[in-house]
Amino acid sequence: MNQDEKLSIIKDILLTDEREFTSSIEKKIKSLEKTINEKEKLSNKVDPIIDDKLNNFIKEIPKTLGPTITKTLKEEIKNSQDAVVEALFPIIGKMIKRYIQHEMKLLSDKINTQVNNTFSFKGIFRKAKSKASGVNESDLILQELSNTKIEQVIIIEKGSGIVLAEFSKNKTTDEDMVAGMLTAIKSFVEDAFKKESQNLQHIDYDLYHIHLQNFSSFYIAVVISGAYNIIYQDKLEDKILDFTSKQKVSDILNNKELITQKLEDFFNNDNI
Amino acid sequence: MITSKKIVLIGHFGVGKTSLIRRFVENTFSEDYKVTIGVHISKKTIEIAEDESVSFIIWDLEGQDDIKKTRVSYLLGTHAFIYVFDLSRPSTFENLKNEVNYLHENYSKTPLKVVGNKVDLVNKEYLAQYNDKFDDLVDLFVSAKNGSRVESLFSKLAKELI
Repeated sequence: MNQDEKLSIIKDILLTDEREFTSSIEKKIKSLEKTINEKEKLSNKVDPIIDDKLNNFIKEIPKTLGPTITKTLKEEIKNSQDAVVEALFPIIGKMIKRYIQHEMKLLSDKINTQVNNTFSFKGIFRKAKSKASGVNESDLILQELSNTKIEQVIIIEKGSGIVLAEFSKNKTTDEDMVAGMLTAIKSFVEDAFKKESQNLQHIDYDLYHIHLQNFSSFYIAVVISGAYNIIYQDKLEDKILDFTSKQKVSDILNNKELITQKLEDFFNNDNI
Repeated sequence: MITSKKIVLIGHFGVGKTSLIRRFVENTFSEDYKVTIGVHISKKTIEIAEDESVSFIIWDLEGQDDIKKTRVSYLLGTHAFIYVFDLSRPSTFENLKNEVNYLHENYSKTPLKVVGNKVDLVNKEYLAQYNDKFDDLVDLFVSAKNGSRVESLFSKLAKELI
């Protein structure tokens, strides 16, 4: 064996691993080239990552961009109020107009029906009632249509706001919380105006009216839905006075069960 | 039988009155501080014996640096007061004796609990510094954050009120 042959054998021994490694890298590069150059293959690899990023971005929009968008919108609206009004007026104006037209039509239909029944027993009774009470017949018709309902009656201790008795047809509120808040509001308003002889008499809340009537150690809150006009208010005041005097409420304030029973008997129907 | 009782929480701004109520009523705590404006009312009923419960109507009044500035009409008919101060802020209890005396003088028949809140923020050595100040006045050290002794404060009060 000459020198060259020996050198070749040594080269073979030393470089075999390197060649295998080079060949495997070559294969990988070719596979990568294929993936990158072929659109479908590249898309299979990249699409899930992009989708994931996009989904995260969409999820994060309210957190990241929300405050900026809200702030910008608020500023824009504040700075160009006239433009906003001009833009919204035709839309909102039309909506309100349509709503009022619809409600007026319903009211007009109802009044027509009531007037057409002039010679019914109810109509004759209304006419007589109108003459006797001095209240205009049309006011009586409107009152009949208003469908006023007593939703809840609460007798509340003055000062503490503790509920002494309660009656409601559909229990939707926590009377203790309502009584507490009403007492706090009453205290605040009456304190603020600093006139001892004056009392808060009613509070309007969305579709409800809360009629408040004061007595020496307690007050009565009546939650009403529907129209609450002077005629109704006057009648309700009389009814509450009638209740407190006939049932001697002041004498039985410590008997929650008894007052509750009396409340239920007295206010169970909507007629006042 | 359920008896309703009006409880009023008073004290300086930011002492943790609202947090104390939230811990008692909802068993929650939040680090966000939202100042109470006017009054906030909550309710919780606890059973103290078989067939005997107390319904607490809790009035959380806005903080006042001087108790005399509290709207008197909010305090009418109160069955018990809870005076809250912040153990980690000495300014909220430096006038403690006068404030407690004011309540005793003006509402002598109404039970009062004096409560040091945020006990989780201080250690025994710190409390020892103020021993003389707290000794006869303070009923409980509580933590609205970890709930320590909050339940016990209200159950003690319920038993006293019945």
